[in-house]
Amino acid sequence: MKRTTLAAIALAVTAGLGLTGCAGAAGPAEPQGQEGKTRLTVSVWNYEGTPEFKALFDGYEAANPDIDIEPVDILADDYSQKVTTMLAGGDTTDVLTMKNVTEYARYANNGQLQEINGVVDSVGKEDLAGLDAFDIGGKYYAAPYRQDFWLLYYNKELLKAAGVENPADLTWDEYSELAKKLTTTADGKTVYGTYHHIWRSVVQAIAAAQNNGDQISGEYSFFEDQYATALELQKSGATLDFSTAKSQKMSYRTMFETGQTAMMPMGTWYIAGVLQAKKDGKTNVDWGLAPLPQKESNGKVSTFGSPTAFAVNKNAANSEEARKFIEWAAGEEGAKAISKIGVVPALQNDAVTETYFQLEGLPSDELSKKAFTPDETALEMPVSDKSAATDKILSQEHDLIMVGERSVSDGITEMGKRVKSEVLGQ
Amino acid sequence: MATKTITPAPAVISRGNRKQARHNTLIGWTFILPNFLGFLAFTLIPVLAAFALSFMEWTSFTAPRWVGLENFQRMFQSDTFWVALRNTVAYALGHVPLTMALALVLAMLLNRKLKGIGFFRVAIFFPYITSLVAVAVVWNMLFSPDNGPINQFLNAIGIAETPGWTSSSDWAMPAVIITSVWRDMGYYMVLYLAGLQAIPSELYEAAEVDGASAWQRFWNVTIPSLRPTTFFVVVMLTVSSFKVFDLIVVMTNGGPGRSTTVLSQLIYQEGIGEGKFGYSSAISLVLFLIVLTVTVLQFKIQQRRER
Repeated sequence: MKRTTLAAIALAVTAGLGLTGCAGAAGPAEPQGQEGKTRLTVSVWNYEGTPEFKALFDGYEAANPDIDIEPVDILADDYSQKVTTMLAGGDTTDVLTMKNVTEYARYANNGQLQEINGVVDSVGKEDLAGLDAFDIGGKYYAAPYRQDFWLLYYNKELLKAAGVENPADLTWDEYSELAKKLTTTADGKTVYGTYHHIWRSVVQAIAAAQNNGDQISGEYSFFEDQYATALELQKSGATLDFSTAKSQKMSYRTMFETGQTAMMPMGTWYIAGVLQAKKDGKTNVDWGLAPLPQKESNGKVSTFGSPTAFAVNKNAANSEEARKFIEWAAGEEGAKAISKIGVVPALQNDAVTETYFQLEGLPSDELSKKAFTPDETALEMPVSDKSAATDKILSQEHDLIMVGERSVSDGITEMGKRVKSEVLGQ
Repeated sequence: MATKTITPAPAVISRGNRKQARHNTLIGWTFILPNFLGFLAFTLIPVLAAFALSFMEWTSFTAPRWVGLENFQRMFQSDTFWVALRNTVAYALGHVPLTMALALVLAMLLNRKLKGIGFFRVAIFFPYITSLVAVAVVWNMLFSPDNGPINQFLNAIGIAETPGWTSSSDWAMPAVIITSVWRDMGYYMVLYLAGLQAIPSELYEAAEVDGASAWQRFWNVTIPSLRPTTFFVVVMLTVSSFKVFDLIVVMTNGGPGRSTTVLSQLIYQEGIGEGKFGYSSAISLVLFLIVLTVTVLQFKIQQRRER
């Protein structure tokens, strides 16, 4: 009899396991927030480490006491993958954060997002930077709430010591000269004139933005000048060489915050990073912002960047509430809420800029403010289903050029050849 | 649950026994069922699904579409696939013999009764239980082209033209192999130690009486006696070499260029990175067939040896 009992227990346990497995896979319960509030779900990444989400949610809940926002937190590295899987499985999360434009285009073209032209119109098309990227045949399926773009960070102290007060209107040649001038070695410790991080965008996306080049075209001669500049800086020792930066997994934050570099082209997301580091007492760097150097100094500033946006899920449990939230987040209220923590909002008008520069610890000189209003911001990578595959090839060949194994012209030829055969299928 | 004792009627016995046997089988199954269900859901079904997917085109958004051998055609025409295959084989050819040889040498050295020998055995085994990411990061620092200790040492002994290691296409693979050999040798050394300690000392004594030199004893006693261990070590090493992924991702991420991109990484990039699940399943099927072929060959060679 004992055996039968054991077998029964084993069966029961198994059945139980099977059942819990199913329960775990079940969809979210009915949207029933606390005490009769409407529960609005929003997909986010790394909620703890990305303070903009909390700023937006707290702000919205304060303005709308009947709403309870619940973040659906996803690991940053798995974000795109996870959202794709969720959508394929008919998930009913209301608002989906679009981490990049390529993903947005995929979801929108697959009919997984709701059209929100009304929201975009009421926020104001003219003031939303980066909105063009979301235009699919005159329809908008997401509204950007944040827009990052690249500018030049510099260490005021080091520039002053070299007799340069104001690195405005730099051409790339002037920038190179300045970087060489700023490079010093004392007591065996080198302070570099500038630091170019190892990402291919530092060379390629800048070249594309300032030459109107298309990175998915398979024709890459427009990279040439920018590579020449980058390699020249490396050869002269005015920047940490690529091999060392790559093999040591150099952190650009460390380079800038510990004063190992006088200048550094980087995206605006790092502003919040510097502010945080100063607040935590990790650094006392005296920093300023300048526009990215240009091909020629005619007062026009071209840079590149990428917007982040909110979209409404096709299967949203609360479509109406989701739209209202996006209208608020992309609008002036949301823009001010994230400005207060140093995140650059997509909505750019005088009131928002003013709020932004009231931020404690932000450089308040005129040049830094000017750096904030580039004339043209190109997309870091064009929206296409070929972006991911092209990106991989361009990264691989970028490495080879930067470590000096391939000449610039051979590298560019190879990029074109591989993109054409492996991606464009020509 | 009393079992029937001897009765003259065979039919009855068999019926009773059959019932008993069925009962026992059922109980056995019930016990392995929980574990088997997990294996089924998370291993067996996905593996079979991956085989099926190899012949389909599937992105997360569209229903899978049968494309026959299209994925394989594309793979064999893709330059990157051949680069990755070549790199995988190169890694295996470096990693397997080096790890094996070093593990055996270390095992011989540490197979003696000395005070404090345990410390050395642990020290050699230690890399194997260290986090692989930490190992990769630290070796990256050691290999640093400008100011890494390895190149500084090479400079000190008079080599002016030091390799760029992980930042050069020619040296990145050797760097990865050196790191992986250092990490794995401790584990295989332990296997060899067990093998060495199982060799009866009479064999050595007899050889010594016959006047065999140390070298002859090694060659004619140790090596043949270790054959089963060696076989196991080679199979394990080969399979793990073909599956190498984590170390390369952390150390070089397949670079510079494509010089250290291996098949498992290509599977990851194409599938998880770009959402081409059909194509990446096809690559994993090819990888599976390669590993299977190599392993079957090794078993065949081993069987022939034993005859």
